[in-house]
Amino acid sequence: MPALITENITAGYGRTPIINDISLSADVGTITAIIGPNGAGKSTYAKTLVGVLRAVTGRIVVNDLDITKMPGHLIPRNGLVYVPQNENVFTNLTVRENLEVGGFAVRGNTDARLEEILDIFTDLKKAQGKKAGYLSGGQQNLLAIARSLMVEPTVIVLDEPTAGLSPAYTDVVWNQIDLIAKSGTAVLVVEQNVERALAHADFVHIFVAGSNHMHGPTSEIAKHDLAAIFLGRAEATSS
Amino acid sequence: MPAFWYYVFTLIFFLFDYFILAMGLNIQYGETGILNFAYIGFVAIGSYVTGAVSLPSSAGTGQQYILGLSLPFPINLIIGGLAASALALFVALITLRRLRTDYLAMVLISLSLVLWDLINNYVRLFNGADGLYNVPEPMASVFKLTTNSFVPFFAGVTAAVALILWFLMSRITRSPLGRTFRAIRDDADVAAALGKGVFRYQLTSMLIGAFYAGIGGGLIIQFGGSFNTSAWLPGETFVIFAVIIVGGVGNNLGLLVGALLVETLLIHLPAFLPDIPGHPELIQYIDAMLIGILLMVMLWFRPQGMIPERVRRSPLLSTFSKSDGQQVVVPTSPSSVMTATDSAALRNVDEKDES
Repeated sequence: MPALITENITAGYGRTPIINDISLSADVGTITAIIGPNGAGKSTYAKTLVGVLRAVTGRIVVNDLDITKMPGHLIPRNGLVYVPQNENVFTNLTVRENLEVGGFAVRGNTDARLEEILDIFTDLKKAQGKKAGYLSGGQQNLLAIARSLMVEPTVIVLDEPTAGLSPAYTDVVWNQIDLIAKSGTAVLVVEQNVERALAHADFVHIFVAGSNHMHGPTSEIAKHDLAAIFLGRAEATSS
Repeated sequence: MPAFWYYVFTLIFFLFDYFILAMGLNIQYGETGILNFAYIGFVAIGSYVTGAVSLPSSAGTGQQYILGLSLPFPINLIIGGLAASALALFVALITLRRLRTDYLAMVLISLSLVLWDLINNYVRLFNGADGLYNVPEPMASVFKLTTNSFVPFFAGVTAAVALILWFLMSRITRSPLGRTFRAIRDDADVAAALGKGVFRYQLTSMLIGAFYAGIGGGLIIQFGGSFNTSAWLPGETFVIFAVIIVGGVGNNLGLLVGALLVETLLIHLPAFLPDIPGHPELIQYIDAMLIGILLMVMLWFRPQGMIPERVRRSPLLSTFSKSDGQQVVVPTSPSSVMTATDSAALRNVDEKDES
């Protein structure tokens, strides 16, 4: 069942479109990866989903609610939350305060939710009194993901969550992403690391030059010559 | 009262008044990250409006001003604070939605200059360059205060007002609202991605800070009985910035220390020193140089200020600490999804990083 549906999205900066006519959906309990070469429009698409950029055409639907023109700060309250690529934590707040900021975006028992999250991210629990700026890059990414879960999202959009991390930490982050999906959240991951994306995602979309060049189940996508696509020798579109 | 004590109580007044002003600027800049270079304009509006509502009708006073309502203390002061907040609402609506950081700062300093020019030249508003004078001393008739006894009395009133506002500000900064302010200061985009209406929170911060500015300004005109455009040249904003940078951005107690060092000891104390023969204004220039040097020294060697912003401990977090300060390791829930292998991998990574 799709928690996120986007239809024919065109968006960009000013009058210059970066992504053209993108249609994509993300199902509950699955990981959908968006991969593609630099400048393909992956992050632009993610930013359009959460209202940082505005779609010129098309429609974005989350849990059957059209959020295309919704103000950005209201989108998380309707189930879609975004974790930016860099500088994604509040460095002068403690780990716990970072999580509390996420919690107050929704009403309910924030403390219980916070303890639940800290039980999941045990290393964050040990560091909860530390300023987030003192965490390593990988821990900061984990904190950003953990904080987004405080909102109890149905769709979580991760923009390159393992960028710049060591292989050991990349595994840790991806294991968490797997478990977030298994808990019933639709996870949409923008990822540069093709190998990791193919290893963990259920569905893959390949963006090339602002278009959704190829998409399908991971097993199908893996059969194609992805290196050729990334190097500009594009194959025919399949689905 | 001997002149010495008159000076001392005057210094106490300025200490607490600038503590109030610094708290107002701190919530905007130190807590929310709004670089408000027009802050002195809000102080001025608070001062003028408090004065204008305290004075009787302008007819026959030899001054030109609006309002003239003869309102008593503290109603006049509160109206001054609200007037500054009303100005902040107007300014925020036209600037905060579209502008960030340095661009916002440039527009705000321009607005401050426009406001100064307007009040200086539009005489009907607040008596132009002459400003307001003969503002009644609050509660002087009730307590039968003389000019001398009014000074310690009002220094005490100002201290009391400052402590009340400090208590309120502490409540705000420790609340979820304060935490959201600091989150926006750290990264407005990430805060928005978490569902925070950044504009709404910045607006709230501007209104609170401007209210404090208005109260601080209102106290100044009531203490001195007069206020004019020479008292709030746009550069005065930077003195208040110096107070919070020296004291400690984001720390209310630090602001009191900053107010003591910068405003009381460096600006107002030398004002009472005898002039240097042949160089009547030399002390003022030395003052300005000392503040500049102090700012540079602080920014270079101790940018966090005399009393840095504290890491705020959550009440829940303290339940995890024993009384002897040892940290209790809370057992990991069976639902934990981070495996032992993952934790080991994390430790390895951290150890490598540290080595």
